[in-house]
Order: sequence, then C-alpha cells, then structure tokens
Amino acid sequence: MYVSAAIGFIATFFVPSIADWYDEITVGSGLIGGSVRIPTIVGLYVCEVLAFAILWSLNKLLANIDRSEVFIPENTVCLRRISWGFMFVGFTFIVMGLWRSVFFIPATAAVMFGLVMRVLKNVFEKAVEIKSENDFTI
Amino acid sequence: MPIIVNLDVMMAKRKMSSQELAQRIDITTANLSILKTGKAKAIRFSTLEKICQVLDCQPGDILEYQKE
Repeated sequence: MYVSAAIGFIATFFVPSIADWYDEITVGSGLIGGSVRIPTIVGLYVCEVLAFAILWSLNKLLANIDRSEVFIPENTVCLRRISWGFMFVGFTFIVMGLWRSVFFIPATAAVMFGLVMRVLKNVFEKAVEIKSENDFTI
Repeated sequence: MPIIVNLDVMMAKRKMSSQELAQRIDITTANLSILKTGKAKAIRFSTLEKICQVLDCQPGDILEYQKE
C-alpha cells in the first residue's frame, strides 16, 4: 500500500509528460476528439487525489482491523469513503471518455467496484448494528 | 425504553454490593453496570434466572413496564 502511494506520488510529477505521450500515440475516436492533452492531465490529477483519499481510508481500515476493532462505525465511514472514491473515479473516466471512448472501459470497472463496495458497506453497517445489540445483551 | 430495570432497588433490599452480585451470577461488573444503568438492550433468561436465584425474588421485582 505504501509502495503504491509512493508510486502515485512520484507519478504526480510526470502527469504532463504522460498526457503528452498518450496524446501522441492515440487518435481521436470519442464524442469530441481532437487533442486529449488537457483532459488527460486534469483527469489524472483528479484520479490521483481520489486514489490518495482511498488509500488513506484503506490504511485506517486496516489499522483498525489490526487492533481487532472490526465492527465499529468508523470502519463503515471508511468503506463509504472508499465506495464514493471509486464512484468519482468512474465519473472522471466517463468524462475523459468523451475525448477517447476507450476510457469507458476503466470507467465501467471503477463504477462497478464502487457499487460492490457500497453493498459491502451496507452489510458492514448491519453487522455493526447486530454487534451492538449483542454486546448489550446481558 | 418502556422497560425499566429496578435491579438497584432489589440489591439495596437484600443489602448486596454490585461486586458480590456480579461474582455470584457470574457476569462482569461492567455488564452488571450496563444492566443497572438501563443501557442493556436485552437480557438472557439464564442471567435473569441467576439474578432471581441469588436475590431470591421474581422477575417482576426487577423489571417494570411503564407506558411511554
């Protein structure tokens, strides 16, 4: 996890060159077409911020599980953040898909994953409720 | 909740401390305190049975229903 955070941080400095490279190797085939440089830069930066937020939540979640505090409301909040993070990554990719339709593939994957996390969050919420009920049964 | 736990009244009548009661009905003092303060959401029949046995009373002496 820390490795991916480090890679993400390093990649921040290369976003413009990545965008240049991507702009060169592809031709417009989306709704808008034309140069994809600016949308790629903006999209990648947005995704990076979201990725860091997701990693931070994940780190908190894992730390809590490590302390064997599994079914606490804080973990539900973490899962909720992760799910919304993936949803927004998906939306960003959808917007990028207006320039290059290939972006719709990762967009679908991200939104799908966000939905799965959402379900997981709801299950977790119920589990927290049941655990508190169980804890207060004497 | 409309169910009120009157455990402390009964304990006072029998002149029993929380610690002693917890020990004799085999639950932790923390759990007994949850029961006494009315934070408990449910009570097992086995716990109720032991409380009644130790305090020599009926469940109605400990639990009370009051309309909201």
